[in-house]
Amino acid sequence: MVQLRPRASRAPASAEAMVDEGQPASEEEEAEHGLLLGQPSSGAAAEPLEEDEEGDDEFDDEAPEELTFASAQAEAREEERRVRETVRRDKTLLKEKRKRREELFIEQKKRKLLPDTILEKLTTASQTLNVKKSPGKVKEVNLQKKNEDCEKGNDSKKVKVQKVQSVSQNKSYLAVRLKDQDLRDSRQQAAQAFIHNSLYGPGTNRTTVNKFLSLANKRSPVKKAAVQFLNNAWGIQKKQNAKRFKRRWMVRKMKTKK
Amino acid sequence: MGEFKVHRVRFFNYVPSGIRCVAYNNQSNRLAVSRTDGTVEVYNLSANYFQEKFFPGHESRATEALCWAEGQRLFSAGLNGEIMEYDLQALNIKYAVDVFGGPIWSMAVSPSGSQLLVGCEDGSVKLFQITPDKIQFERNFDRQKSRILSLSWHPSGTHIAAGSIDYISVFDVKSGSAIHKMIVDRQHMGVSKRKCIVWGVAFLSDGTVISVDSAGKVQFWDSATGTLVKSHLIANADVQSIAVAEQEDSFVVGTAEGTVFHFQLVPVTSNSSEKQWVRTKPFQHHTHDVRTVAHSPTALISGGTDTHLVIRPLMEKVEVKNYDAALRKITFPHRRLISCSKKRQLLLFQFAHHLELWRLGSTVATGKNGDTLPLSKNADHLLHLKTKGPENIICSCISPCGSWIAYSTVSRFFLYRLNYEHDNISLKRVSKMPPFLRCALQILFSEDSTKLFVASNQGALHIVQLSGGSFKHLHAFQPQSGTVEAMCLLAVSSDGNWLAASGTSAGVHVYNVKQLKLHCTVPAYNFPVTAMAIAPNTNNLVIAHSDQQVFEYSIPDKQYTDWSRTVQKQGFHHLWLQRDTPITHISFHPKRPMHILLHDAYMFCIIDKSLPLPNDKTLLYNPFPPTNESDVVRRRTAHAFKISKIYKPLLFMDLLDERTLVAVERPLDDIIAQLPPPIKKKKFGT
Repeated sequence: MVQLRPRASRAPASAEAMVDEGQPASEEEEAEHGLLLGQPSSGAAAEPLEEDEEGDDEFDDEAPEELTFASAQAEAREEERRVRETVRRDKTLLKEKRKRREELFIEQKKRKLLPDTILEKLTTASQTLNVKKSPGKVKEVNLQKKNEDCEKGNDSKKVKVQKVQSVSQNKSYLAVRLKDQDLRDSRQQAAQAFIHNSLYGPGTNRTTVNKFLSLANKRSPVKKAAVQFLNNAWGIQKKQNAKRFKRRWMVRKMKTKK
Repeated sequence: MGEFKVHRVRFFNYVPSGIRCVAYNNQSNRLAVSRTDGTVEVYNLSANYFQEKFFPGHESRATEALCWAEGQRLFSAGLNGEIMEYDLQALNIKYAVDVFGGPIWSMAVSPSGSQLLVGCEDGSVKLFQITPDKIQFERNFDRQKSRILSLSWHPSGTHIAAGSIDYISVFDVKSGSAIHKMIVDRQHMGVSKRKCIVWGVAFLSDGTVISVDSAGKVQFWDSATGTLVKSHLIANADVQSIAVAEQEDSFVVGTAEGTVFHFQLVPVTSNSSEKQWVRTKPFQHHTHDVRTVAHSPTALISGGTDTHLVIRPLMEKVEVKNYDAALRKITFPHRRLISCSKKRQLLLFQFAHHLELWRLGSTVATGKNGDTLPLSKNADHLLHLKTKGPENIICSCISPCGSWIAYSTVSRFFLYRLNYEHDNISLKRVSKMPPFLRCALQILFSEDSTKLFVASNQGALHIVQLSGGSFKHLHAFQPQSGTVEAMCLLAVSSDGNWLAASGTSAGVHVYNVKQLKLHCTVPAYNFPVTAMAIAPNTNNLVIAHSDQQVFEYSIPDKQYTDWSRTVQKQGFHHLWLQRDTPITHISFHPKRPMHILLHDAYMFCIIDKSLPLPNDKTLLYNPFPPTNESDVVRRRTAHAFKISKIYKPLLFMDLLDERTLVAVERPLDDIIAQLPPPIKKKKFGT
């Protein structure tokens, strides 16, 4: 049996008395109109009534206060305005927060890019075919972690925009868009995996070179051992330990003999 | 000849990379071969199958297709999505064009030679126009569902057949749309879960499309109706390559089991006009997959994962039945990968991405002829030098005193200084090498290790002076006129005065190093130079060519020596001229000026100029004369060419000092043991 919250009735009694003793009385009332609304609203509905009741403590015998329609309407409008205000404030706060985050990201991204000088050079170089880089310009390139991209492209990797190969006194580099490189590498890996699977994957009838070359040995009139009969890679550590032990034992033997 | 102690070296772990594509050029009779590590080699088939030029490989370059276009232009395409053109004169890559279709699986040149077609990973077929200096994208054909693995043009250039996974499409070139889509059975008479990959297609002029696929079938389709005409099941494993002859009366296919089949168009009965395709000859020259085949007018060429390049002349096409019609198998490199420092007994081995420095072992025992002496000190692996970057090493050298190591890749030149203290070795790199030294084709140190000679691919020869830990660029000899015929080879005299450089069509140039000018030019010979060396005291330049001719030219006198003229007049022994492999190294004995030591892959020879020359009737390969033979017999069989076939296959042979030789061997079994797995063969009783 659900214990319904006590609903204050309009009878002029003290709030506490209402809460404590009014339970059996309010239960019946609740049974009539409270159940339809459910618990939370009954609780919400209970409070203003209680407040009213508390305010009207002195005027026990008086009739409840009359609320005109206008005042109630004004109150309601006030409520609405307040709610709207809070919502608007929340929205603006959120917007500002988002804006600040965006700016932060843009700044971080900018820090990640190559210095403008080099980007300019790249775009101009794509128009003119001659690229002449002075060693001074190359030194300007500050060796941050962004230049790892440059050094990675040192070994003739392709550029999406243009292959800029400058052979300067200090270093020569190629600018590469990493995004394209990753995509290309993964596709190349997939292609090589395809070839490997189709030639050496499951379903192909492959055997080891040792077995292949030993077929002749097996079929000869005098059966011989397989071509790679010895597995020299077996027990390397054991063999090394044994060698070391033997050396030490020999030395010890020599010493005791003397 | 004298007695020598021979260091037999077998710790050079040389494994060549497998052959991926082969392209034959009819006009110049040249063969371009691309390997799995990205190296592209050009063989001159008329110059005794000699490897003239090569382009070093790159880690990210996985070439899948190679073709010759009009005007001797070589193009390759690979899984990195780029089409590259190779410059055969400057020996570098002219440019690389990104195709934007993903990895490229196949490429074909149009019969007119002016258009290029590529098949990509995303199923698109792209057409490029070949302009005089570049290639230009023209248009896309209809996009297919799966990757285009093989392409072939119709001889008239109007249609294209493209093989993909489980189907073959026939396109019309003008409209770019697919006319027919022919579904390939996954298994000959059966069902299979594995997809059928069409590895090769060929379009004949009568509209027949021949396809080879991974189920082991060779199928003939009619492109007009899009139907299957005939199907041959020839193998249990994939059939991976196909090549059609120009006259379209024969074609060759290669399988994954290593077998190469020859199909010919023969009349049905002896006097009927109707012909049919019949499988005529199987050849089993490979142990592993045959990934590529080519059909020249007189020979079948095949190459695959077992790294051999096999050229099989067809007997019915060869006019003269002489030694030229024999099988040629090219296994060992045609250039030197090993350099030696005689003073410190060090060997430098060149691999694709690293160098190894070994010190030879020593022995204190003595013995008679033919004994194997036990080592008192084992050979020492001193240094393992890895190269930075994905490029392959082009050439390397160690100075005779052992304190300098130099090697070059396409983009950089590296020079290292070595210091030896007791048994330790320390390495220091010389920084700030000048950029014009990069992409060096040949590096050589002078005898006293003070000068470094570098032949760059631009044709210039640079002389760099070395001192202490630094260097100074002395001089650059500019390229002489004449087209580049082969890779440049260098030779320097032991007194440091003369430098010889070969490689151009003008002949071998000899430069005076002290006065820094061109001294003379040896007259041009129509076969490329395979090895060169200058004798210590007489300053005679000995040149070996790819047709096994050996010339001796006197540099101070600026003319051929008398001995050389005698040899040319008499001619070499016919067995000498029939040798398969080129001479890769020539050296001399310090105390015996009449001896020339040279070797190729299967023999080494000491030529004694004081002895008479053999004529065609004498025995060329003298067995070792037993000591109890009478003197008369020995004198009768003695001739100038002392050949020994004890150590083979030889990669390098040199004279360390008066009594010691070093022979670097590479048994074929050791190479095969490191190859990828082959197809299983079921034999009865195993």
